[in-house]
Amino acid sequence: MQKIRMLLWMLLVSGSMMSQSDVYVETESFIEKGGWVVDPQFVEQMGSPYLMAHGFGERVENASTSVHFENTGEYHVWARTKNWVPGSWDPPGMFKIMINGRELEKTLGTSPGWSWEYLGTVVLQSGTVGIQLVDQTGFNGRCDAIYFSTSDTRPPNSLEKLMEWRKKITAKPDVPEQEQRYDLVVVGGGIAGCAAAIAAAEQGLKVALIHDRPVLGGNASSEIRVHTLGIYGHFERILKKLDTEHYPNGSAEAKKDQEKRDNNVKSYANIDLYLNWRAYDAAAENDTVRHVDAANTSSGKRKRFSAPYFVDSTGDGWIGYWAGAEFSYGRESMDTYGEEWEEWGELWSPKEADNAVMGSSVLWGSKETETKQDFPEVPWAMPVAKQHEEVNGEWQWEFSRNDLNQIDDAEEIRDHMLRAIYGSFANAKKNPENATRKLEWVSYLVGKRESRRLVGDHIFTFNDAKAGTKFPDAVVIETREVDVHYQTVLEDAENPDFISEALFYKTPKYYIPYRSLYSKNINNLFMAGRNFSTSHAGLGGPRVMRTTGQMGAAVGLAASLCKKYDVNPREIYTGYLNEYLKLIEAQKYVGIPESKK
Amino acid sequence: MRYQVWIIALFFMATGFSQSGLPTAVSDSSRNKGLIRRPEFYILDWKRGTQLKRKPTTISIIVDSIGLQGVDALVDVAGRPVLYASDISTPVCADGECRLMHIRLYWTLLGHYAGFDHYPSFPFTKHDHDEFQSADYLKLHQLLMDNNSILKRRKVEELVDKPIAPKKDGADAVAGATITEVKESIVTGALYSCYTAWHLVHGGVREQIKRRTLSMMDDNMFLRMLDSNNPEYQLFALKRLNKEQYEENYKVIAEVFESGIPLVRTFIIKNLPASFWDSQEWQRPFWECFAKIDINSRSLLLNHLGKSPETVLEDISKQLGAMTKNQLKVFLGHLASLDGVNPSIWNNLRAFSNSKAEANAYIVTHFLEDHE
Repeated sequence: MQKIRMLLWMLLVSGSMMSQSDVYVETESFIEKGGWVVDPQFVEQMGSPYLMAHGFGERVENASTSVHFENTGEYHVWARTKNWVPGSWDPPGMFKIMINGRELEKTLGTSPGWSWEYLGTVVLQSGTVGIQLVDQTGFNGRCDAIYFSTSDTRPPNSLEKLMEWRKKITAKPDVPEQEQRYDLVVVGGGIAGCAAAIAAAEQGLKVALIHDRPVLGGNASSEIRVHTLGIYGHFERILKKLDTEHYPNGSAEAKKDQEKRDNNVKSYANIDLYLNWRAYDAAAENDTVRHVDAANTSSGKRKRFSAPYFVDSTGDGWIGYWAGAEFSYGRESMDTYGEEWEEWGELWSPKEADNAVMGSSVLWGSKETETKQDFPEVPWAMPVAKQHEEVNGEWQWEFSRNDLNQIDDAEEIRDHMLRAIYGSFANAKKNPENATRKLEWVSYLVGKRESRRLVGDHIFTFNDAKAGTKFPDAVVIETREVDVHYQTVLEDAENPDFISEALFYKTPKYYIPYRSLYSKNINNLFMAGRNFSTSHAGLGGPRVMRTTGQMGAAVGLAASLCKKYDVNPREIYTGYLNEYLKLIEAQKYVGIPESKK
Repeated sequence: MRYQVWIIALFFMATGFSQSGLPTAVSDSSRNKGLIRRPEFYILDWKRGTQLKRKPTTISIIVDSIGLQGVDALVDVAGRPVLYASDISTPVCADGECRLMHIRLYWTLLGHYAGFDHYPSFPFTKHDHDEFQSADYLKLHQLLMDNNSILKRRKVEELVDKPIAPKKDGADAVAGATITEVKESIVTGALYSCYTAWHLVHGGVREQIKRRTLSMMDDNMFLRMLDSNNPEYQLFALKRLNKEQYEENYKVIAEVFESGIPLVRTFIIKNLPASFWDSQEWQRPFWECFAKIDINSRSLLLNHLGKSPETVLEDISKQLGAMTKNQLKVFLGHLASLDGVNPSIWNNLRAFSNSKAEANAYIVTHFLEDHE
């Protein structure tokens, strides 16, 4: 019972709106998740990780937990949830709550926007109370928290007020309970972050690698399943520990590479791996990051990570953003860096800057079975899918729109893609030849291509790739074509808005300078991954994961020299470049242990 | 691109263009002559009675083992170029066996694909010597319309049997789906004919044609392009209009905005001179399209709310259901920033807020709670 208590964020008195009896339960802390998944992708937008019934049309098993109530009494019950497709149909993500084995009458997941839905009152005895989430639809019902109160005052809906309220009832201090110090803190366990951690660890640094998922690899992980592209550059030895085979995007083969990747990273004794920890803040003083705060995505437990150097491999540039780093978003005017490609005009680089970016993908697939398979009607998906029919989703399943920000509106983007997938599959199922076909897998994670780009001393552009500029501090090498995506709906409003097209520019071998891998104005911040210092068109080539892995390995090694000389990233370029380049060359080969020399 | 192609295909079918089997191909005797009928497969508008004469140019295409083949301008009665055309005979080779393909190709003034004709006595054939059927010609037309086809980036050998071998330096957009993409885009059994035709159409001739057009460009040609239904022409003209030309042609530009593709609309709205937003008359036609246009264009239009007259706000308040969630928030945010708002706008907000049919009604409800 002690353990159960630890998992709950129980109310302690504060403020007049709540009593000592009240109980607040974050669903991600449920002991048994059943078929529900923890979704921590949108914490910055809606306030918390939440549980979601991701059953692609089949009801998932109940999630369950036990809670200790101090007092017997009549409790008002609210659940924070959301009807993720409001409209003139039954909400797709309906669920119920069961308390001590009795299902409450009220169906949840029916109010648009994240809000508290009222379930009425229940009489509970003091002691252990069992709570279950009961999925009704299999289509992404979601529940953030459940609140039991002897008062009939509903918790606030507005995010700002809710955060204040939550802080009060959980009585959490501003500072995390624990602080740990490292030589290097890497945030984001995609291929870039993993490579940074390995490269630094091999040079003897004590590294923290913080990642908000249970598995490593980001877009390459078995949860998103994009294969890695690009070349190894100087870092073949390290990147082969992390990359994937060239299976079709969305393939279940991603699981094999997942095991390899996780085992390889875990084999480094001086990497402390924090899986299921999500960074939520970074503090800078005098333009220097002092610490990053992160929370466990299930327990809510928090830690502070201090270090002289940090790597932002979050993809969205969160560490830089919180620390006050300069960043860019959207497409520059073709005149800003002279990135015009006349053949593709506005689709490549616009005359006037705008906030259009390459979109996010949600991959999925189905399989043939030996028996007839039904798929439910999904009227709520049809306004997106329209007449589109498909049984698998590849990279072209991509969504971007200029009223949606890839970070702030990521949940809407993901949900739009889910509607596109379910609707297109439902259309395909009407074809008799798909009678035995069954949805096999649908990701619920947003596979982003482009979001915030932190600004470094050099902004890598399409022209750098086109010219093959060999920078003195070239640390990343690539031969892959530059390809920039656009939504086909721009060419015809009747096209599905979730399908993209790629424009390819064949470049010579090109290079990315080290100066694009550390922040211009935050002294001790490296970046590796899609949030490196680049223009929109510049990102077209090196956004793929062997290339971003090269970036990671390069900054991991740079961090080791920073520590050695107690200098900041910029000073590696200005004062230690030769040694840095030699170190990159030397790490290609496994060293002979002292004992065997 | 592929979807656009299908729409045009459906248009042909809907207009009876291919109802009686294959439309009449260009007659053999018309080879190297002008054009008095709409080409068999064609993407531009064709006005009844149009008569185009051939006028030789210095542009040419090099065809393997045949040599140079000339490209002519097709000019109207005033001598103005309308199209470019070439009657081409080209070898199509597969497995060491070659045969000639005879085709008349058409290009736009900017060197983009405009259409093709074939000769009845020289039907296209597939690898197994079967002749093309009507659907095959149509599919070839669709392929040629796709200027970003996978055929552009691959050698023909890479498209046979195993169309794309896994490549470590491959591209994001190749991956596993490409096999399907190739199969879907070419005429079954006629890969080599498709490949040859595509590269003839989209080869170096494009630049030569465009250069010639640019050398002859005048204001009249700009305006004809602007007033066309061709997005490439529209964008080409819009990029080259100066402020005064935008102002002088505001009615045409507003019409293009209303009927154009989203890419053209977004260009217009981003590049209209500031003077448009200072004039109620000039900006009005753009707002009148508010509910009809695509989401991206509407978002850009909303950036100009600050200079819109109150009548526009009132009109939009009657069309709240046309907006996305974020667009609605932009509009409501603008209302909140104003000192006073017409009571009829509040009434429209209340009506929307109470509507059960509107998915985003709750956003307006929250807004009213905070601001009334």
